Order: sequence, then C-alpha cells, then structure tokens
Amino acid sequence: MATILVHIALLAYASGAAAFLTWLVRPDGRLARAGRLLLLAGVVVHFAAFGVSLGIAGAGLGLSAWKGGQLFSLLAAVTVAGYLVLDFRYELPVAGAFVAPLTVAVMVPAHLVASSERAIAPQVSHSLLLFVHVGAAALGTAVLALAFGLAVLYLASEKQVKSKRPGRLLARLPSLELIDHAGYRLAVWGFVFLSLAIATGSLVSREATGATFPFAPKQGFAILAWALFASLIQARLVAGWRGRRVAFLVVAGFVLLIGTYVGLLSAAPVLQGTAA
Amino acid sequence: MMLICVGLSHRQAPIAVRERVAVAPEQIESRLRELKALPGVREAMLLSTCNRVEIFAVAESRGAGDDLLQGLGPVAAQHAARRFEEEALRHLFRVAASLDSMVVGEAQILGQVKEAAAQAQQAGTLGPELSRALARATSAARRVRTETEIARGALSVSSVAVKLAHKLLGNLEERSVLLLGAGEMAQLAARELRSEGARELLVVNRTPQAAEELAREIGGVPSSLAELPALLERVDVAICSTAAAQAVVTRKMMVQAAKARRYRPIFLVDLTLPRNVEPTANELENVYVYDLDDLERVAAQNRDLRAAQVGRAEEIVEQELQAYLAQSRERTAVPVLARLRAHADSVARAEVERTLAALQGLDEKQQKTVQAMATAIVNKLLHAPTSRLRAEAGEGPLADAVAALFALEGEPPQPQKEAGQKSESAEEGTVLPLLRRS
Repeated sequence: MATILVHIALLAYASGAAAFLTWLVRPDGRLARAGRLLLLAGVVVHFAAFGVSLGIAGAGLGLSAWKGGQLFSLLAAVTVAGYLVLDFRYELPVAGAFVAPLTVAVMVPAHLVASSERAIAPQVSHSLLLFVHVGAAALGTAVLALAFGLAVLYLASEKQVKSKRPGRLLARLPSLELIDHAGYRLAVWGFVFLSLAIATGSLVSREATGATFPFAPKQGFAILAWALFASLIQARLVAGWRGRRVAFLVVAGFVLLIGTYVGLLSAAPVLQGTAA
Repeated sequence: MMLICVGLSHRQAPIAVRERVAVAPEQIESRLRELKALPGVREAMLLSTCNRVEIFAVAESRGAGDDLLQGLGPVAAQHAARRFEEEALRHLFRVAASLDSMVVGEAQILGQVKEAAAQAQQAGTLGPELSRALARATSAARRVRTETEIARGALSVSSVAVKLAHKLLGNLEERSVLLLGAGEMAQLAARELRSEGARELLVVNRTPQAAEELAREIGGVPSSLAELPALLERVDVAICSTAAAQAVVTRKMMVQAAKARRYRPIFLVDLTLPRNVEPTANELENVYVYDLDDLERVAAQNRDLRAAQVGRAEEIVEQELQAYLAQSRERTAVPVLARLRAHADSVARAEVERTLAALQGLDEKQQKTVQAMATAIVNKLLHAPTSRLRAEAGEGPLADAVAALFALEGEPPQPQKEAGQKSESAEEGTVLPLLRRS
C-alpha cells in the first residue's frame, strides 16, 4: 500500500516538474498553478505513505524497519512541503522548476533502487531522541536545499544584471533583494534545525556507541557545514554581508551537508552500534 | 445582422487628424445614443483613445457603415477604414489583444476597450451581440498576455531603468533616489521612480539655485555637489545626467561608498555622454552601473522579444476568433433545428390524440405507451438530421434544404412540453446571429 502511494506521489511530482519546466518556456500562469497543485497533491500522498509505512513498522516510532532510501524520500517530501510554504509566501514558481525535478531525481533512486534495511541498535531504535534527530536533520536539509536553490538562482540572475544581459530567468524571478532576503532566512532556519540534529545526534550516538562525537565522515561534514552556516549568519549580522558572497557560502554549506549523507551511505553507520 | 467597424487609428491617420476626430469622454454617451438612433443600427460602442477613434456596431446591413462614419465627422471619412463581419470581428480581437497598438503589447488598450464597453452599457447601446464578441475578445487578449511574452520588458530608456531598479531592489517604497544633473530623460526616470513610491528624491546640481529650482519642480529635496560622496553612501538609486566633461562619480568614490554601505546594493543610471559614472565602478560588488547604451540595448532586446511573440499572439487571436465564429454559426443553425423539432412534435402530438380517440378504453399506462412510441419515432427519425445540421453549423446547404423540405420558413418554434423531449433554449431560438457567412 505504502509503495503504491509513493509511486502516486512520484507521478504527481514528475507531472509537477513537467508543468514547471514547461512554464519556464511558456510563462502561462495556469502551468505554474498546475505545478503547485500537483506538488501539493504529491506531498499529501507522500506523507500518507509515510503514515502507512510507520503503521506497518509496528509499535513506537518504527524507525528500525526503515530502509536507507526512505530517509531520502522523507527529505524529498519535506523539501517539497518547504517549497510550497516558500511559494505561498514569496510566489516563486522558478524555484518550483528547480525543486520539482530535484525531488524526482532524489525519489527515483530512493524508491526504485533496492536498498538494505538500516540496522539500528535496539537501544535507540525506538528512542524519541532518534526520532527528533531524524526529523531535525530532514527539516534542516530540506530548508537548506531550498536556500541552496535560491542561492543558485541569485547567482545566475545577478550575473545577468551585472553583465548587462537581463534574460528570461531574471524576467521570471522576483527582485534580487527578495531572493537574497528569503535565502538568508532559510539559511537561518536550516542552521537552527542542523544545530538540533547535531545535538540530538550526539546524544543518540552516545546511547548507541558510547561516543558522543565519533570520528566519521558523516559527523565531520555535519560539523563543517554547521560551522560554515554559523559564520555566514555572523558575517551577515556583524559585517552586513549579503548578495553574492552570502549565496556562495550557502552553496558551499549545502555541498558540505550533502557530504554528510554521502558519509552516511558509504561508511558503516554509527547508529548500527552493537546491533551490527 | 452584422458587425461593422468604422473609424481610424494610427495606421490610417496622423495625430493631427486623430485629435480632430477624437471624442471627449463626456460626449461619448450622447454620441452613442445618436449612433444607435441611426437607421438599422441595433448596437454601438465607441472606442476613443490617443491612437484610435473607432465605432463597433451591430447593424442590419453594410449600408449603415456610411451613416456610422458620418457620426465621426467629415474629416474622419477621408481617412477611415470600414470593416464588416469577420474582418470587423478580427479587428476587435486584435485591438483588445494589443496587436494593433502603436506599441505592440502595451497594457492600456485592454482597459480602454473595457471602459468603452462600460460606457456603451451605461448609454444603453450595448446589446447581446457586442457583449458576446467583447467577452470573447477580452478572453483572447488575456490568453495573449499570459501565454506569450508580448507584454514583457520596458521599451523606453527611462522605463527600462525603472524596471531594473525594481529587479534589483524590489519594492521601491522606502528607497532613496538621487538625481544628479538636470537632463530631461533623467528627470523622467526620477519622476517614474517617485511615482513607484520612492520615499526620497534628492536633487544635486552644479549650483544650489538650479538644484533648488529643479527640486521644487519635481518634488525633491535640494542638496549640494559637495555632499555627493555622502549621498552615494545613502541612496539606493542614482540617476546621473550632468553636462560634465569627465566622470562625476568615480570608481574611487564608489569604493569608499561601498564600504560605508555594508554591501547594500546601489544602482547607478548614467544617462549622458560623456558618461558621468566611471564604467569600472560596475566591477565593484553590489554596485550596478548602466549607461545609455546598456539601457538602449535592453530596450532593443525587449522590442525584438515582443516582435518574436507577435506570431504566437496572432495564432491565439485566430484560434479564439474561429472558436467564436463556430459558436456563432451553431447559433445560426439552432432556429432551423428548433423549427424542425417543433414541427415534428406537433405532428406526433396530433397523431397521438387521434389514435387515442380511436382506441377507446385504454388505461393510463397504455396511453403513456402510445405517447412514448410516438416520441421515440420522432427522436429516432430526427437524430441523424439533427447531428448533421449541428455538424454543419448552419453553414452548408442542409439548413436551407431542411427548411424547404419541411416547409419550415416562418414557422415559429413551439416550446417543448413533453416529458423526456429535448428542447432548444428560448434564448438560442431568438438570438440574432452576429455573423452569417455570405
């Protein structure tokens, strides 16, 4: 049942992506509206699939039965939900043309490629801390993915203004000031969730393995990304940084964050602990 | 009944003629009533703008066109264009979609068409034919605006500057604008920025007197040239148009200003030659310099873009026009269908009554069975002719043939009262078609 729902969600995301990409070529407002509605339908069905999945998993928080791909699926769902909130606030269909295909690109390997179940230490598999950790990590990553998207859009459109060749992209975007403002706010929220994810992650790790900060690529990338976003916020507040340099930092920070997930997949999972 | 359009636009007459023919807003309603009082004229709408004075009317014959034209005066008659039926309708659609405008894609014309329709409504000269045509023309215009980029981009140097300021800074309210020099184009841009809500307009000129005078004229605040470095730290947009022989705003000045601005963007618009702003200032972070050439290039790009969209816009207008014509033709076919149906029903009803009178003693159920049989025979017999007539939309020979074969000419359609029988709407049976192909 959950699998069918996920496939329906994926279909809705793909259709939404097609609508947004067509909108880029032909700026018909109806296409953007269709794209939004399809993403909304997709995300509702997607969360319903998670609900069904957790129900099947049994008692408690049910994280022990999750497969690796499901974390990426959750990330995709939260990113789409975040985009819809962002779009409601700032009306950014261009970001939709970025988020929707990215979601499909993440969802396809997450669900169509077989992945093994994550072996999670029994002492933490039903822990509230683990649930908060995964939730905060997913929210933080989704919000920072959106900030990354806006940063890329900012850099591309700013280049058009600077080179005195304003093109279609600039015409379809709101002002640079607004993109900068929205991107920074997302970066701040992403930083908050990332901080929470790291803090709860260290506690979960201590419960599972006894080590608060085990030396592993995942933790290393997470700390680097966190430090970079902290510097970004500091630079904005103290020195007034904005525009290109903030956008570059957001891009770099998100790339580091992606390193966390690469580390999660490539290395032996820390949470595996004694259950391994 | 046919649609007629008479009048002139920028395509037929120079402004000297158009201004003599133009109808003042307060005279439009009385003029419309005069037009409707002309022989054979059923409906009328008058569109009077800077670029056109045109009458759209529904009349009984082409002859009304000359009478309508007289309503615009003798000067108009020498230059006016006359359009009838489909050509007139196509013109209405193209005008509303801004394809016949002097600046193709400009947004005002659709509002002007709607305003003209409202005035005709007010004067009581807008009837169902024109209303339907206007509704479809408006819908076509909206499609053109949403599905093409014909309205995208500003076309004049000053409006390109204002658009770019929007793209960089967003909402211009609470923004501060510096006007350096007194060039006309710069004043125009400054006024546009002010009308967009810019909070503050600072005026700097060579002499304090000139600055004060200009500030008074455009509602700004005068400031001295000596304060320029400080002002560049403060303002969000600077429009430069002094007659100075060398750069007034140097790169060095902007380096200092950028430090104090703490990365806040500034948009420098240079509207003179020789240039007032050192071009290398554009290399600085968050400093954007556009000179006359840059702005003109953007305007030219926008013009090219609009021109490239005209073909697609024309396609949309033609699609909408053909759809409207098809509907009109279907309406034309309806009276024949209604008459045919009424004729068949009346025959069936009479035969049922005679049969029931002959077959005494039938109970209620048996009587209903006889009635249902008669209805079924009529429906089955009429099914194929109805489909063919609808498909032909009253345009082919069948409509006339049916009318002749069944002697339907002049026979008014009867309302359908039998249960289960389809009936044509009263409106469709009586509405006069706007267009009938000759």
